[in-house]
Amino acid sequence: MERIAGTGGRSGSTGGEKEEIGAESFLFGEEIQRLMTGPPENGSSFTALLGLPANQAMELLHSPESDTAPAELSGEAWRDNHMNPHKLYYCSPTFPANTALIDRAARFSVFAAGENSPETSSVPSNSSHKVKNEPTDTDSNPNSLPPLISNPTVENKNQRSTKRKEREKKAKGSTKKCKNASNETSEEAEKLPYVHVRARRGQATDSHSLAERARREKINARMKLLQELVPGCNKISGTALVLDEIISHVQSLQRQVEFLSMRLAAVNPRIDFNLDSLLATESGSLVDSNFPSMVMPLMWPDVQANGNRQPYQQLWNDDTLHQPVWGREEDPHNFIAPEHSLLSYDSSANSGPLQSNQLKMEL
Amino acid sequence: MRPPTSLKKEFLKKWIMGLQLCSSSKKEMSFLERKKAIKLSADVAMASARNATTRWSRALISNASKDDSNKGLVECILGPESESLKRASMSLVLCNKRNRSKKISRKSCSIRRARKSSSQMVMASSIAKRLVKKRTQVLKSLVPGGGSMSEFSLIEETLDYILSLRAQVDVMRHLANVTELLNRK
Repeated sequence: MERIAGTGGRSGSTGGEKEEIGAESFLFGEEIQRLMTGPPENGSSFTALLGLPANQAMELLHSPESDTAPAELSGEAWRDNHMNPHKLYYCSPTFPANTALIDRAARFSVFAAGENSPETSSVPSNSSHKVKNEPTDTDSNPNSLPPLISNPTVENKNQRSTKRKEREKKAKGSTKKCKNASNETSEEAEKLPYVHVRARRGQATDSHSLAERARREKINARMKLLQELVPGCNKISGTALVLDEIISHVQSLQRQVEFLSMRLAAVNPRIDFNLDSLLATESGSLVDSNFPSMVMPLMWPDVQANGNRQPYQQLWNDDTLHQPVWGREEDPHNFIAPEHSLLSYDSSANSGPLQSNQLKMEL
Repeated sequence: MRPPTSLKKEFLKKWIMGLQLCSSSKKEMSFLERKKAIKLSADVAMASARNATTRWSRALISNASKDDSNKGLVECILGPESESLKRASMSLVLCNKRNRSKKISRKSCSIRRARKSSSQMVMASSIAKRLVKKRTQVLKSLVPGGGSMSEFSLIEETLDYILSLRAQVDVMRHLANVTELLNRK
């Protein structure tokens, strides 16, 4: 998976590498494409879109090799951080067995609010703790902190990491935002539950404010996505104004749906949309030539699944009908037949060459 | 994320099916009835195109199925997954009730707190926070099922909702244009 947050704002206009994005002028098209190629865990659009924060730490801390010398890595880490000053990497990468990255992440992570964990008591709260936050799924509590204490291996590694951090702190006076070391491994993705946040110079470093900051960063990244989605939001700064724009956009879309349904109701004396006749008369003269191209694949006759829809019609029958549907079906045969083919399209539709054709015809 | 074209196709498929069922049930429908039927089947089709993976879709479906007259239509559009989807949306409703009671108690606490601090100097950050809070309230009222979401999930739901709304509007507009052109001929 690619980074959303960082690349979104900058590379929005360079999308269009995929053919289905072409006509849709969404600025985030490129990222969405990349997100599609990433592995959504449960296949839903949202989790793919979410780009859950990287939880490399869990992987890292479970991996055995984390004993490389911190000194040589620290320079590399700082260089990396210097180059990407303000990005928090939300799309989680697959974590390669790279000991440098492992060690870096191990060093840069601590338990958040780990009042019960042994190492936090040893480390004074004023030292720069970094927060390990569990990312939210859409359904889970966004602010729950991980119960890491129960995991002994993780604890051990963190003890080591906090000691290393103390040494590091003595060497360096300030801390910077962590880039999650995974900027180099941007291509593959694997969802890891921890976000590494570093305290900026001069900021409060207790665990609560760090957690707050991590949460705010998550929200800000999502807001950036929203900003790119809603047209005209890019130039606006400030959450309230952006929210205003989003609200007005959603309202206008909902109003459009209302008006369009009114239009459709006015156009048809009875709501029968005979796609067959639509296509027959429209193929030449449509302004929006996309529509027939979209509808055409749906009309491909597929006889086998014709029986699928009948049970549902039966259900509908039993609920509300006075007149039998079956009788009606016989009469306008050419009306019903294409509809059935339309409806029964789904079974075989998603296979084979049809799919690629459909993808090429974009709306 | 599903590519936009397949979303539109699914939506169109389910929508046409729903409309067919509506028209097959009643011979004569007034203008408003037709409009309602169209909009309802469009909304339900859009929500089911997401297969109840998002909260707003589940809330939409549960709202639509509350009305008994729509129930049959909703079930048909949802198709084979209707039972599991209904169960999912019912659980969502229950969660809403729990969250609502929690929120009421939280609000009463915060009101007490706010009265204490009102005498102090009003900072710009608090003004900004209040503005943002108001707008999130409005957004919650717009997005279906938004009342019980945290801020973070609200933003994600809005994202998905906007995408689906766009697809819906596109498909509807195309269909409207086509039928109008047809009628003119």
